[in-house]
Amino acid sequence: MTENARLPQLLSRQVEKATTPDKGLDIHRLLDLVSAAYEDHERDRRRTDRANALMAEELEDALSAIELQNIRFKAALDNMPQGLCLFDRRGKMAVCNPRFQAMYDIPDADCRPGNSLAQLLGASRALTTASEIERRMLISEHVQMGEGTTSTLEQNWPDGRKIVIQRTGIADGGYLDTIADVTESRKATAQIAHLARHDALTSLPNRVLLRERMQEIVRNAQRGDQCAIMCLDLDRFKLVNDTLGHPIGDALLVMVAERLKAELRSNDVVARLGGDEFAIIQQHVRNIAEPGKLASRIIKSISKPYVIEGHKIQIGTSIGIEVVFVNNLDSDLALRNADMALYDAKTHGRGTYRLYSSEMHDVATQRRLLENDLRDAFAKNQFIVHYQPQYDTNQNDIIGFEALVRWEHPVRGRIPPNQFIPVCEEMGLIDELGKIVLKTACTDAGGWPDHIGIAVNLSPVQFRSRNLPTLIREAVEAAGLSPNRLELEITESVMLEDFTAVLDQLRSIKRLGCQVSLDDFGTGYSSLSYIRHFPFDRIKIDQSFVRDLADTSDSLAIIRAVVGLCGSLNIKSTAEGVETLQQLEILCREQCDSVQGYLFSEPIPLKQTYELLDIPVRRKGRKAAA
Amino acid sequence: MWVKPLDLSSAGNAAGAADLPHKPDLVFIFGPVDEIAQSPALRQLMELYPDAVQIGCSTGTSIQQTRLADEGLSALAIGFANTKVRLYVEPLADIAESAATGAMLGGRLKADDLAGTFVLSHGLGVNGSALVHGLQSILGEDAMISGGLAGDGARFEQTLVAVNGAPVSGVVAALGFYGDAIRFAHGSAGGWDEFGPKRRITRSEGSVLFELDGKPALDLYESYLGDDAAGLPASGLLFPLKIWNDANPADQFVRTILAIDHDAKSITLAGDIPEGWSARLMRGSFDHLIQGASEAAQHACETFSADGIRPELCLFVSCVGRRLLMGQMTEDEVEAVADVIGRDVPILGYYSYGEIAPQNATKLCGLHNQTVTLTLLAEAA
Repeated sequence: MTENARLPQLLSRQVEKATTPDKGLDIHRLLDLVSAAYEDHERDRRRTDRANALMAEELEDALSAIELQNIRFKAALDNMPQGLCLFDRRGKMAVCNPRFQAMYDIPDADCRPGNSLAQLLGASRALTTASEIERRMLISEHVQMGEGTTSTLEQNWPDGRKIVIQRTGIADGGYLDTIADVTESRKATAQIAHLARHDALTSLPNRVLLRERMQEIVRNAQRGDQCAIMCLDLDRFKLVNDTLGHPIGDALLVMVAERLKAELRSNDVVARLGGDEFAIIQQHVRNIAEPGKLASRIIKSISKPYVIEGHKIQIGTSIGIEVVFVNNLDSDLALRNADMALYDAKTHGRGTYRLYSSEMHDVATQRRLLENDLRDAFAKNQFIVHYQPQYDTNQNDIIGFEALVRWEHPVRGRIPPNQFIPVCEEMGLIDELGKIVLKTACTDAGGWPDHIGIAVNLSPVQFRSRNLPTLIREAVEAAGLSPNRLELEITESVMLEDFTAVLDQLRSIKRLGCQVSLDDFGTGYSSLSYIRHFPFDRIKIDQSFVRDLADTSDSLAIIRAVVGLCGSLNIKSTAEGVETLQQLEILCREQCDSVQGYLFSEPIPLKQTYELLDIPVRRKGRKAAA
Repeated sequence: MWVKPLDLSSAGNAAGAADLPHKPDLVFIFGPVDEIAQSPALRQLMELYPDAVQIGCSTGTSIQQTRLADEGLSALAIGFANTKVRLYVEPLADIAESAATGAMLGGRLKADDLAGTFVLSHGLGVNGSALVHGLQSILGEDAMISGGLAGDGARFEQTLVAVNGAPVSGVVAALGFYGDAIRFAHGSAGGWDEFGPKRRITRSEGSVLFELDGKPALDLYESYLGDDAAGLPASGLLFPLKIWNDANPADQFVRTILAIDHDAKSITLAGDIPEGWSARLMRGSFDHLIQGASEAAQHACETFSADGIRPELCLFVSCVGRRLLMGQMTEDEVEAVADVIGRDVPILGYYSYGEIAPQNATKLCGLHNQTVTLTLLAEAA
């Protein structure tokens, strides 16, 4: 029944309600009812209008909100780094972002909603450079990705890009593909993995990769396979770094790495362990001679001069070798043994190789004990300084003493300097020891008469620190010693290092007022150019010439030449190791300026020097007495 | 079973009720709060028929046959051949006790031969959903329960339940029908139209709704009501709220406003309003509301006609919101029901603050709002 059809029903009810008990019609009552009914309808109409207007407003707001959301979604889609493409349940493209189109390089005309994925990919110019088969394969594996849950596909595109495609099913039965270009991130990952296993400077494998390679070799080993593990380090590399700077040192390491690689077969491995240390795995070693041959080739190759930024550089290498059956290869143990062999090679003259033997282990153990004891010796002041007198052959009297360090070991007794000084040098303790000796000697000399000099030996290693002149000045000043009473003895090997820098330091020392003497002359290069370049105050003739003086005419000739040279250049000469009267007589005859040796006195404690300074020469010689 | 409308047109005079063929077993009575509270008719009826159970409640408008009355009492007497009725009453002091009160009544009603229950509750300060759940917790989910909450027109100030001649505040009365002769049929329908956007219930507690889509619910109602907002909470009935659970769309109810809180900007509805459910405003057009009433009647009749039963009484509980909206046209919904069930079937009822009846589809009983709910009774020979 419609509303209009219902009106008569309403009116009849209104008439009924307006009918009085006596069946009369109360017209006012009827009009009130009719009017109220109109009001009901009017009110309802207003209410409906208002509700409609508000609803329209709300829907408008909701629409605006959706539009705003769309703008935001579009901005997000347009600017996301991944390509994105949404497909409906029929597999037709609903929307894709510009990145998707750009990544696949799809022409505008082909990138339309409604197209299938196969159509889109078919139009891709990014895939067309591939061979037809490769192109079809790339398209087909993408098209055939599962649509149910999330699945991922990784592709290598013909232009070199690595692409990860992720497909996610969505509620309405369609699916969403996101396409990410992971080329850079994969590269970075690979780079990081490379860095973790390689040395950044030389790109050689590092210790981590070396160990992995060893494990790999063990895994693939066949019965009876042998391999050689080599450890090597560079001789005089530190000097290059110290004198020419780290950039040159680094460049040198790169060149060394290249030379090492050039000497190896493709299945051998060379790794940089750090600093100037390298390790090599030589595979399929058939006999013990093979690693030796390789080591010789390497030593020869590394020792050839390098030219870097105009500097001609010469270094060498020492190699330690451990040969093992691969089945028994313990990477740590093999490296340790090779390292011990390396140490042995270095102590036997450098520029050579050594095969590991079990005795090396004992030597290394001894060495370790010695190192521990040496550290102790510094802490417990076990070093003492003794003095050996030097006599003037003309005046027949003491003109000075040479200071010589002694190590009083609490258990092993007195240890000679040639056993512990090289160890101190290697351990980097020589500066410390040099300082002790210098200070003690200067202080002790302060107690002698003013005409008595004191000679102190300097190690080549001490010249590497730039503050040697300062150290000397401080020692002299602290002792209140006149600088000209201090004579510093250097050997030729000092001059072999950075000649210019050493010369600078020697001149500084001279400027302090100290004397400088060249020790052990005649044993090394005996290059006269040193004498020409630096005004030495004294040359000390090595004891080996003095020892042979009575037996060979060669020694006499040399001594005569040196003494003569000194006389011409106004340099004093001193003969060391004089043990017999016969030697003394010859030296006096040859006009050697001064002598020292057991003939006169062994090195003695400070206390005895005081007694000695009052005693005539010849009566004190112990050897003479013996 | 016999049914006789009682003429109580002369206030304070139950004389018209005296002319009955037999002594009744049950008397229903509805009327305005002040009449229920003060009319001597209630007491006089008890004196006339001391053995009859008397039950009723306050309302803004009562229904007798196809006529609505905003004044005076509407009453009706019933005699049964093979059915016993028993009345139980429990106090309900706090809305939080609603479920417990329902369970308490359920416990008292429960008997093997309980055929159906008609409940009349205090209309304010009650959670009708909880009350029904309380009853069902004892009587079972498929128990035949119908009835409604007492009303007070558009005032929402005071409601009363009439219990055996006494007007009582803050109680729930439950009438139990016992025996295998009595038959029930129910129909419930709204006819309201959803409109406007779907909204999300973002904040609620029990039957108190604070926010829709993150905005105060009261603001929304006030803006839609315009000038009518002054008439809240009654005017809120013009825009009931349909709520449903998206996860299970069969869970849907129409909720009506019982109270508002200007400070909290909240509205209290006649039943639970679960957070996370969806909601949409509803509005009524006269046609559709009347059509709704007709559908409720058709549904109720289908149950009976399937068993070849003719209804002998129609208890008509309709929402006050319909009354407020339709004004003088409201009687049309009663006419529409009468057209379906038969003009000779006695009708008695009232406009309520909440209707209780089984859902048409599920047969599960629940609290409804803004509906016409019909309870048809008949007694087998």
